[in-house]
Amino acid sequence: MGRTNPIVIADAGPIIHLDELGYLNLLADFDEVLVPEAVWLEVERHRPLALKAVKDWLVRQPLGQHSAVVSALTPLYSLHAGEQEALHLCVEFGDCLLLTDDTAARLAAKSLNIAAHGTLGVLIRAIRRQRLTKVEVLALLDAVPKQTTLHVRPALLREVIANVEANAD
Amino acid sequence: MTTLQTQIPDQLIQQAQYLVQQGWVANIDDLIAEAMRRYLESHREAMTEQFIREDVDWGLHGQD
Repeated sequence: MGRTNPIVIADAGPIIHLDELGYLNLLADFDEVLVPEAVWLEVERHRPLALKAVKDWLVRQPLGQHSAVVSALTPLYSLHAGEQEALHLCVEFGDCLLLTDDTAARLAAKSLNIAAHGTLGVLIRAIRRQRLTKVEVLALLDAVPKQTTLHVRPALLREVIANVEANAD
Repeated sequence: MTTLQTQIPDQLIQQAQYLVQQGWVANIDDLIAEAMRRYLESHREAMTEQFIREDVDWGLHGQD
């Protein structure tokens, strides 16, 4: 399958969690993924090797315009620097997909009509996009609590796995 | 700051105004912001789970 082409902007969570699983390259299925400067620095702090290799689909993106609405939402949702920059860029670029595992960032994105999804969505999407098999993704979902710092309530993760087993092609 | 226009039941706003008059909070704006903060905090776990379910649906059936 070919790549898709929404403007994708990543927060630190999905980059870190996919790297922890050894599957950061799933983001290569997007034309390019913009990584805000503050997010880049955050990932470098937590996963020093993740961004070392040159990856042309990961683009270090300096912040351009500040959005007054994002600035207004920042204290309400207690947004961190990376989340703020990611949302500022989403507003600046318009029709974007924000990748984040942070609930506050997703709430803020929702209030701004910005589509947002997280690590689990990217993993499951890989089946639909024929990047990974269902068996491979089920194994990765099962590995999330052991291999990553992404926290998902065990019963919810079991529900997710059962859903994928039943409904993925 | 963002200005919101909303409809609030009379009884609720009267209770809020009473708290402002009694000095518990500086003004209605601060009270509403604090109420929103508390609501968001108390519902964060449920929202996190809702977002994960939305991720699963997007992963399985999304168009992008």
